[in-house]
Amino acid sequence: MNDKPASSRSVLRRIVILVGVLVGIVVYAIGWQVTDISLEETQDPTRQEVMQRALRELFAPDIFAQERESIVTSANIMLGCQEGQTVEQPERTEHYVIITPDCGQRGDVISVEGFGFEPDSDVFLRWVPPTGQKRPLVRADIDGEGHFLTQIEVPGIRGDAGQTHQIEAEGSWPVGLPRLSQTTLLVLEKIVETIFLALMATTIAVPIAVLLSFFSARNLMRQIRTPLGTALIGFVLVPVGGWLGSLLLMPVVQLGLTWGKGLALGLIGAVAGIAAYGLVARYANALDLPTGHFQFHLRRVGMNLLLLVVFVFVFGAVAGICVWLGEQLQEGILGYLGNFLGTLGLLLELVAGAVAWLAGALLAATIGMEFSRDWLRHLAEPASSVLGAVLGALGGALLLALMAAIANQAALLGILPPFIAATLAMQLVGMIYKRWVSRGRPQAGRAHATARLILSWVAAVIVFALTYAFLDTGRSLIDGRLPAATVWDLGLVSIQTFTAKAMLIGAVLGGLGGFLAGTQSSFPLGMALYNTSRTILNALRAVEPLIMGIVFVIWVGIGPFAGVLALTLHSIAALGKLYSEQTENIDPGPLEAIQATGATWLQTVVYAVIPQIVPPYIAFTMYRWDINVRMSTIIGFVGGGGIGFLLQQQINLLRYKDAGVAVLAIAIVVSILDYASASIRERIV
Amino acid sequence: MLKIEHLTKVYDTGVQALDDVSFEIPDGQFVVIIGLSGSGKSTLLRCINRLIDPTEGRIIWNGLDITAATEEDLRQIRRRIGMIFQQFNLIKRSSVITNVLAGRLGYTNPAWSLVNHFSKVDYQEALAKLDRVGIRDKAYVRADELSGGQQQRVGIARALMQDPELMLADEPVASLDPATSHSVMKYLELLNREDGITILCSLHFLSLARTYADRIIALKDGRLEFDGLPDEIDDARFRAIYGEDAVRVEIA
Ligand SMILES: Nc1ncnc2c1ncn2[C@@H]1O[C@H](COP(=O)(O)OP(=O)(O)O)[C@@H](O)[C@H]1O
Ligand SMILES: [Mg+2]
Repeated sequence: MNDKPASSRSVLRRIVILVGVLVGIVVYAIGWQVTDISLEETQDPTRQEVMQRALRELFAPDIFAQERESIVTSANIMLGCQEGQTVEQPERTEHYVIITPDCGQRGDVISVEGFGFEPDSDVFLRWVPPTGQKRPLVRADIDGEGHFLTQIEVPGIRGDAGQTHQIEAEGSWPVGLPRLSQTTLLVLEKIVETIFLALMATTIAVPIAVLLSFFSARNLMRQIRTPLGTALIGFVLVPVGGWLGSLLLMPVVQLGLTWGKGLALGLIGAVAGIAAYGLVARYANALDLPTGHFQFHLRRVGMNLLLLVVFVFVFGAVAGICVWLGEQLQEGILGYLGNFLGTLGLLLELVAGAVAWLAGALLAATIGMEFSRDWLRHLAEPASSVLGAVLGALGGALLLALMAAIANQAALLGILPPFIAATLAMQLVGMIYKRWVSRGRPQAGRAHATARLILSWVAAVIVFALTYAFLDTGRSLIDGRLPAATVWDLGLVSIQTFTAKAMLIGAVLGGLGGFLAGTQSSFPLGMALYNTSRTILNALRAVEPLIMGIVFVIWVGIGPFAGVLALTLHSIAALGKLYSEQTENIDPGPLEAIQATGATWLQTVVYAVIPQIVPPYIAFTMYRWDINVRMSTIIGFVGGGGIGFLLQQQINLLRYKDAGVAVLAIAIVVSILDYASASIRERIV
Repeated sequence: MLKIEHLTKVYDTGVQALDDVSFEIPDGQFVVIIGLSGSGKSTLLRCINRLIDPTEGRIIWNGLDITAATEEDLRQIRRRIGMIFQQFNLIKRSSVITNVLAGRLGYTNPAWSLVNHFSKVDYQEALAKLDRVGIRDKAYVRADELSGGQQQRVGIARALMQDPELMLADEPVASLDPATSHSVMKYLELLNREDGITILCSLHFLSLARTYADRIIALKDGRLEFDGLPDEIDDARFRAIYGEDAVRVEIA
């Protein structure tokens, strides 16, 4: 369609380029202004002098210290010269000082000469009034013969004329071998702390980031689809299962804990449990049951149940055994191990309740999905829609209740219920469109895709606005207040009005969607997990590690632990993103080949994905450690421990020579790590 | 018996890769699919084991509707359908034996296979399959250290571990030189003659197809253009499949 002559097009292009350059210059000029770039400041002589002094000190780090020996000697001087009067001078011994003239008042220049000092060292002169409050004067170099001569100006000193004051000369010189200074020792201690801080943060973050990265990889999650009814049943059963887990599995965990704390029983119990599972698994897998049969599902559910019971027991036992070991190992090197295991045991004990809840939830959801999958498939049309509506309403209410609970925590989070409601509406419209409108007319794929997208967005915006109004989200977002605490009394139970309203919206949306979509429509479970995981990672990454550091310092106090927590959280986000990108870039061929053999999703991940991602994952982990060392110095500035905290104190006290040692140590460690991680990366990628 | 009924695939991008394709393949046949690149050969093969979900139509295999199978049933179906690929699709960093054992994943207990544990029988079986394709001595070599022809033979061994009744081969020799191509095709022929495995193989070159096929199916722009015996493809048919300007190239 280019009927324009070539010359006019090239003119147009030149104009565009010209305008682009002009805009660029203007942007740059504004930037110059905004960032206060000023040449005057840089040329100001006093500033230059101060900077020079600071830099000189930074570059004269107090790395070494040496013992010094010193001699002190003094001469008398009279304040104000009186005719005919002289001051008596001390006897001239092997080292002595001569002052000429031996009297003077403020501003007079007099010369001080010394003999018999240590050759090639230096000397400090001080003014000593009768009150004894010494005042430093100057530093002077001593020549090769042990002699010095320097001029001083009489300082403004209080005292009557004719009073005798003294000038003291202290010559000092190093003796013996130089050794590391106190500062250096402290810096070494802190740099080791920093390296470990970064190491802990990185290693704790890795497993969590790996898990999240799989959920955040589109190519792995896209295939995971399940009928809507099945997904909803699983979702609705989560809190039920969680509750049952707290009720029924928690005692098992407790039993494991109690036994584990006695070591022997715990060990025997754990081994016996695992062995029992192995035996039963061997027997059960030997049974040849046809797929889709009731017994087939029963076997799977039974095995899962057994596995979870054994798992929670072993979990409790391991926690108990750790606590026991922590109490036993107290001495010497083993003390470190004992402390580690003991704390680990306590941590495991602390999260035991959550583990029981999660285990129950997982089990209930899988059981529900396992058994519902088959009979939902054979559900005829009216029943499918009705059941879809019921399950959708339950699921929607549950989801919004969860969001309302989060919104009750902080004002800004009030955005979540309308946001989630809008997302829900968007998804549902897409699903309904696919089922009712574009079905059977695949030829017009692109037009339908566009129409679906537009309709979804319209629905999302409308639902967002309605929910915003209904839930009074403005109260949270604009006034910055939490949702009202008013309560609806329903006789038996009472529920916060805000939560009830949110649940109502969820139920309506879910019910409507469930009714229109039916239990059979295909729900992109994988993509739902993908989006959730991505959102969490992005939100985490958006928070500055410095802010995380401040929050954790408030929570656990100043020290390296706060730094570890902040960097861990940040590393999870950063690594999760990097890892998931690597996973998305793997060769899809092996994935396809393993899937084609009839492997499960998990088997496909283990055989086709993991071998491909191990090298880049190791490389990124090294790289992260390197970054964490650097970042920990910044986290240290807000109290996160490590070398940064020390550096901040030194800078605040204007002790640049000490700060120089810290800066040097950081530079050395960072370059070593940089080099190491680069060479390891080169070797394995 | 594999029955394809009115198979249609429209990708999300709007490309129509398959357009109302129907045919039947009796057990034990060696069928070659030919067609220009982009004619839908890969799409067709991937629809059969549902690596791609077809938009419309049905695929019936031994009386089972593959297109309507649940995830569980689909895995049971897939493990009796072997597949080999143009790019071999081996796990490059793993050993040859691990690659071959991976063919057994559909049969093994998921928990054990996750820690790379296979039964002794499976190991022996894997070595036997490698023996059959003539590279038993390479069992513990990393897969990416093998030549192309050897890699494809590992691919065949992996598919054989599935104990397949049907073998899908998506341009299995397109990345190989002519001599190696023939050796790989001979293995497929052997499996067809000796083990009675039905073979559905897509190929670029008509000459190769003529040598090995019992029957040839040609696709053009996603439509079935030809379905018959190799000898029935005369010059007119050839031009109908490959376009007016096409010249016959022989591959020795
Ligand atoms: N994943 C995909 N997404 C969109 N279009 C695709 C995809 N895979 C293949 N196609 C398109 O479908 C058509 C058929 O491709 P394919 O089945 O790979 O043909 P062949 O294997 O015969 O070369 C081509 O036009 C191709 O561009
Ligand atoms: Mg192809």
